Amino acid sequence: MTVPSDRGFSRRSFLKGSAVAGIATTGLTAAAHAVPAAPESFGPGRHEIALLVNGKEQKVTVETRTTLLDALRDGLDLTGCKKVCDRGSCGGCTVLMNGEPVTGCLVLAMDAVGQSLTTVESLTEGDTPHALVQNFVKCDAMQCGFCTPGMVMSSLACLQKRGKPTEEQMRTDLSGNLCRCGTYGRVMEAIQRTAAGGTGGGK
Amino acid sequence: MSTPRDVEITVGYPALPGLEDRLEKRTVKPAEGDAAPWDATTKFTTIGTDVDRVDGLQKASGRAKYTYDITFPGMLQAMILRAPIAKGKLKGLELDEASRMPGIGAVVALKDLGAKVRFVGDAIAAVAGTTLNHVRDAIEKIRAEYDLEEHNVDYVVATDAPLLSATGQIEEPWAEAAELEAALKEAKVTHEATYRTEVQTHSSLETHGGVARWNGNDLEIWLSTQATFGCRGELAQACKAKGIDVGTVTLHAEFVGGGFGSKFSAGIEGLAVCLLAHAAKVPVKLMLDRFEEHTTTGNRPGCLMQARAGVDADGRIVAWDWRSFGHAGFTGSGGVSVPNYYTADAKKRTAHKDLNIDADPPRPMRAPGHPQGWFGAELFLDELATKAGIDPLQFRLKNDREAIRLDQWRFGAAKFGWDAARARKNEAGARFLTGSGLASARWGNLGGAGRGTPHGITCRIHQDGTVETRSGAQDIGVGTKTMMAIVTAEELGIPVARITAMTGHTTDPSGPASGGSTLTPSIASAVRHAAFLAKQTLVEIVAKHIGVPLSEVHCAGGKVGSGTAQLRWADACKLIGPNPIDERGKRHPNYAEKPFHASQCGAQFAEVKVDTWTGLVEVTRMFGIQDCGLVLAKKQAESQVLGAMIQGVSYALHEQRIMDKRSGRMLNGDFLRYKITGVRDLPRLECHMHSIANGHDSVGAAGLGEPPSVATAAAIGNAVFHAIGVPVRHLPITPDKVLAALASKKG
Repeated sequence: MTVPSDRGFSRRSFLKGSAVAGIATTGLTAAAHAVPAAPESFGPGRHEIALLVNGKEQKVTVETRTTLLDALRDGLDLTGCKKVCDRGSCGGCTVLMNGEPVTGCLVLAMDAVGQSLTTVESLTEGDTPHALVQNFVKCDAMQCGFCTPGMVMSSLACLQKRGKPTEEQMRTDLSGNLCRCGTYGRVMEAIQRTAAGGTGGGK
Repeated sequence: MSTPRDVEITVGYPALPGLEDRLEKRTVKPAEGDAAPWDATTKFTTIGTDVDRVDGLQKASGRAKYTYDITFPGMLQAMILRAPIAKGKLKGLELDEASRMPGIGAVVALKDLGAKVRFVGDAIAAVAGTTLNHVRDAIEKIRAEYDLEEHNVDYVVATDAPLLSATGQIEEPWAEAAELEAALKEAKVTHEATYRTEVQTHSSLETHGGVARWNGNDLEIWLSTQATFGCRGELAQACKAKGIDVGTVTLHAEFVGGGFGSKFSAGIEGLAVCLLAHAAKVPVKLMLDRFEEHTTTGNRPGCLMQARAGVDADGRIVAWDWRSFGHAGFTGSGGVSVPNYYTADAKKRTAHKDLNIDADPPRPMRAPGHPQGWFGAELFLDELATKAGIDPLQFRLKNDREAIRLDQWRFGAAKFGWDAARARKNEAGARFLTGSGLASARWGNLGGAGRGTPHGITCRIHQDGTVETRSGAQDIGVGTKTMMAIVTAEELGIPVARITAMTGHTTDPSGPASGGSTLTPSIASAVRHAAFLAKQTLVEIVAKHIGVPLSEVHCAGGKVGSGTAQLRWADACKLIGPNPIDERGKRHPNYAEKPFHASQCGAQFAEVKVDTWTGLVEVTRMFGIQDCGLVLAKKQAESQVLGAMIQGVSYALHEQRIMDKRSGRMLNGDFLRYKITGVRDLPRLECHMHSIANGHDSVGAAGLGEPPSVATAAAIGNAVFHAIGVPVRHLPITPDKVLAALASKKG
């Protein structure tokens, strides 16, 4: 999973910032190295942040402890990402952050500030659904459908990264997504069909 | 268009490749006003073809709104405080501080002072607040005190648990049975063994829960359920019992994220969300978290089973003695079923006893009692066959009394390449050992419970040529909406694209729960009847319009009319006017005549690869053949069968609830430590849908929740036995057990 390192307020960037600041106060660095401004302090309480979702900047009010998943679902009504395990173990809340798949339940909303987020809803914003979505339907790569949006996003990341993925690569890229109904084989068919340029249709 | 009184139909099925057909004639009497039956000779245009899931785009686009996704302005979120103890009494409950916490809208007690606490996770109180973070903060402020009692979560030491040997074999003497003993004594080969399975959780991805809002005394609730009408009744009654003067109750479950048998009841979470919404006077959402889902919403019980049996010199089973001990919770049943079609001529006996521990009770789960019983019985059969020197397939062919499955065994064995697979020898000293196994399946509800209930369906034809088919029952993912659209399209002779199918709102006609594989056979003929009635009304309108006698007008192939006076469907519908044709179809009783068969048959074949260094089992390929009545929605039916096989792989190799004896708590109540099959474990899977005209009613459909779930773990268990030469008699077949089995062989 990618953690933003230059912007946002991840634990990693916070630690990096404070380490530099610490060194500066002990006088070991040259003055030429500008001491970074102390990180802006947030929380407790609620703050309005802006998230860049599907190409649009959207305001949402969160606490520092609010996950990206809750911000998308409860704040922006983007309920395509599902809360299934809330612990990063099922992939039901997979969204893309700067093109990389992340589980929304393991990213703090504030860490997603300034990152480019893509949710499943973006794939059906135009007149024609994305070929991958059409192929999920064509291949019947769903039953109850609750894992499906997460599967679609992991599949999209797989296609974007691999072009024409092998079966082994698909198994690797989908290995973080659980499905209880047992649709794995058909999800892989949908990916292959999309890679081969096939589109949906049907009666 | 009067319905014929007597109709001759053809039931059964055409020949499977290489075998003979089993087609028979029946004379049936359809109910007055019902459509004439479809049978084995009917030429369909839509039924049995590949049709896209009608709500597939909604699901794949993330736009389908499940209960978990429902939201309202000002809605509160809620959680339940769960008991941390496995047994005792609630001594004190202090809620005031929690209710004064910021953002909290309502706090309700769910257990009375002095009431029993029955398991870790028993519901104590519920809190609703602006966000779940607020609610968590408030729940920490609730002070609950308990009188502790000694608990037990270990079946081995439960009351009535049988005596076990050091290796886990039941040592309890068998009760006396003179005739059976005599048959065993006369048998050429006898065998006895103990089998065990573990508790499996349903693990639906959408957890249980609901969103409730009150409008005065009227309740509207969105619930993740597999029984819309059952839960509506349950909640109305439960709210009344809590002193609420309940008016109407409307329940919605348009999309449901899995159920598998765990969602028949609204449960304490359903009641809690209603009480919270009533107290807070705003809508409230309460969805369980993953740990609650694993620990408070039921499970497939485990069991301990023992068999002894004997075969004669011809390889026929002549004696069969079976007993099982079901692993229930503080209440509930751990019932186990075993196949009865192998032992028709045997002296036989079966006995069952439930064992209780201080844990969440079982609920039905796909083919309750079957996968566990079949695992024990089918592995026992293979051990018996091996002792008697008979190939497992030949042993089945000799003893199986169900004619349909005899065909399935032969067909499946040829498809799978059984003889070659069994003849293949593993190289001496090889690290990886391959093996093949098979197992049978049966589900007895065909034409049974649920089908006689007078459920209804609405069919509307609009002037723009679109058609609605509506049921208040739910589609939990099996493709019910798609099935309804297909049956309607077939009856009306128009494409599926013109039809909108809707399920899950109790404002529509009543339908059954999704249980026991009875939903599809219960409503398919009602769907057809509704479309049939709507078609008749359209035909009447067209007959009047073109001025020909009613009996000469037909509706088929997208046209309505007579001879050369044919209207295209869209033009015919324009005659309807602003008020649509609106007909209510109903479920007629089954035909009185003897149907072709009353239980669904299936067979599955599995191949495994066992790593003798690590003990890891990989299922490399499987083939399944499944009787599913008349196959209506082919693609979705196949999905369901393949999915059941994947769940079976999971049950065979991975799934096990692990309880901590000291705390009484489930140790692996999450998806990190409770493993379900992922894409990496996926075998090559193939299934054959065995379409059979069963002659029960005008459609002859069957359900597929249960039937394909029965055989998988058993076939895998047998394949492991074949691969390593020793049976692993305890599910799940984890590496430790495989290595122990291999060691016992060397020893």
